[in-house]
Amino acid sequence: MKPVREQNYYELLELSPDASPLEISRAYKKAFELYHDGSMASYSFFSAEERKEIVCCLEEAYLTLINPESRTEYDKKLIELGVLEKGQQYRDKVKEPISIYEFRKDHPVIRPQNNRMEDLRSRALQNPLIQEILARDILSGEDLKKIRTALGITLEKIAELTNIRVGILQAIEEDKFDLFLPMVYLKGFLKSYARCLQVDESIVINGYIKRFGIES
Amino acid sequence: MADPVKHICPIGGGKGGSGKSFVTGGLGILLAKQGYRTLLIDIDFGAANLHTILGIPHPDKSISDFISKRVRTLEETVVPTTVPELYFISSAMNNLDITSLAHEQKMKLLRHISKLPYDYILLDLGAGTSFNTIDFLMISNSGILVTTPEPTSIENIYRLIRSVYIRKIRQVLNVSNYRALADEAERRNRRATINNPEVLLNIMKELDPEKGENLEKALQEFHFKLILNQLRKQDNPNTGVLICKIIERHLSLKMHFLGSISFDDRVHNSICKKIPFLDLYPYTQTALDLRECCKNMQSIIKEKKSIFSNYH
Repeated sequence: MKPVREQNYYELLELSPDASPLEISRAYKKAFELYHDGSMASYSFFSAEERKEIVCCLEEAYLTLINPESRTEYDKKLIELGVLEKGQQYRDKVKEPISIYEFRKDHPVIRPQNNRMEDLRSRALQNPLIQEILARDILSGEDLKKIRTALGITLEKIAELTNIRVGILQAIEEDKFDLFLPMVYLKGFLKSYARCLQVDESIVINGYIKRFGIES
Repeated sequence: MADPVKHICPIGGGKGGSGKSFVTGGLGILLAKQGYRTLLIDIDFGAANLHTILGIPHPDKSISDFISKRVRTLEETVVPTTVPELYFISSAMNNLDITSLAHEQKMKLLRHISKLPYDYILLDLGAGTSFNTIDFLMISNSGILVTTPEPTSIENIYRLIRSVYIRKIRQVLNVSNYRALADEAERRNRRATINNPEVLLNIMKELDPEKGENLEKALQEFHFKLILNQLRKQDNPNTGVLICKIIERHLSLKMHFLGSISFDDRVHNSICKKIPFLDLYPYTQTALDLRECCKNMQSIIKEKKSIFSNYH
């Protein structure tokens, strides 16, 4: 073994250069147990001076390594001396908190849908029938249904995406105004419906409400 | 059951009363009960005790019969014990004048011991760092050292190991080389005297890398084992591991820790009754610890088949 003075701090504490602060303080504690004045295990193995020197070195090593600033500096020195290679030193990787449960905030269905939404919009734009219907001033439930079937989307699908009950969606398409609820809700439902089909919300809402106004 | 390879295992320790004979007796009984032909030899010529521990108060033959040439072969001094497969060479009836053997006698004895037909031969060595003890400790590279968790005993263990270390250095280097090395070491470093063989080795490596390497290799052939005996409840159970660590780190010798043996007041009873402890109290913690040590020893021996290599 190299004399204590010639060992670098990592060798002295028997640490790898990328040891974490926790490992450093543990190693120091362990080494101290072995070398301190009253240690039974090393009794008489070292002379008083040797022991003092070792404990001094250990302390120095610990104090240098436990302080992030002095440690970086010390690592730099070791790298210059060629003892340590770059990239071997400790990097403080702050860990992200890990959730206990597999809990995802975003709904798994939504993400792949973004693509499909684009696709849907272009199909709606290219379909002459839909464009013709949307160009009208007034829209009936029947018109909405036509748009929907032209795009090949089922009521159930819309219900799943919007959380609106199929019954209500049906009522909208069948113009069953008596079932309807306050205007705010109707507008909200129409908005969600239009979004699912990727057609202009305001056209759908305005057109439908106009007709609603006429009928009632 | 018999193992073709013979294992000679000296059991020593720095301080008297640390339990060398107790451990030797215990290990011997355990090995014999496993069916190995086991021989215990009491080499503590000055203060032989092993016969009492084994429950043979008056062995009718002893090793001095061989040394003083009353019998021709060492085999004739072997006496059986109460345990089948366990045999014993006592030094109880020694003449008082052979506490220390002449070099020739020692070498002859070593030669004869190595020829004895047993699976395990355990040598119970005397305390201290006399040449007697050290030479017997060095006949196999794998002696067992016994210490108690007390500064006095630990101190002596370190002294013993350093003595073995320095003796090995002397053995590897010839006289003039050794003299030159020691002088050079002292010139460079006041502390590098006989008391610090590890510094001596470092200087040797600088002076003559080739020889230094040879020396280091020779030293690394040692793989001593340590048993921490008489561990009381309030003691640090880690002490044995720490001692091994100090030796491995600072003397670059291999040191295996075989285990701690709990202190038990009843050991005293068994010795007073002259009945082996393992027979009298087979189900105590101390007996369990002994078995554990024996198991560890055997597994280490199995790993390293190199036994009884070099003595000159």
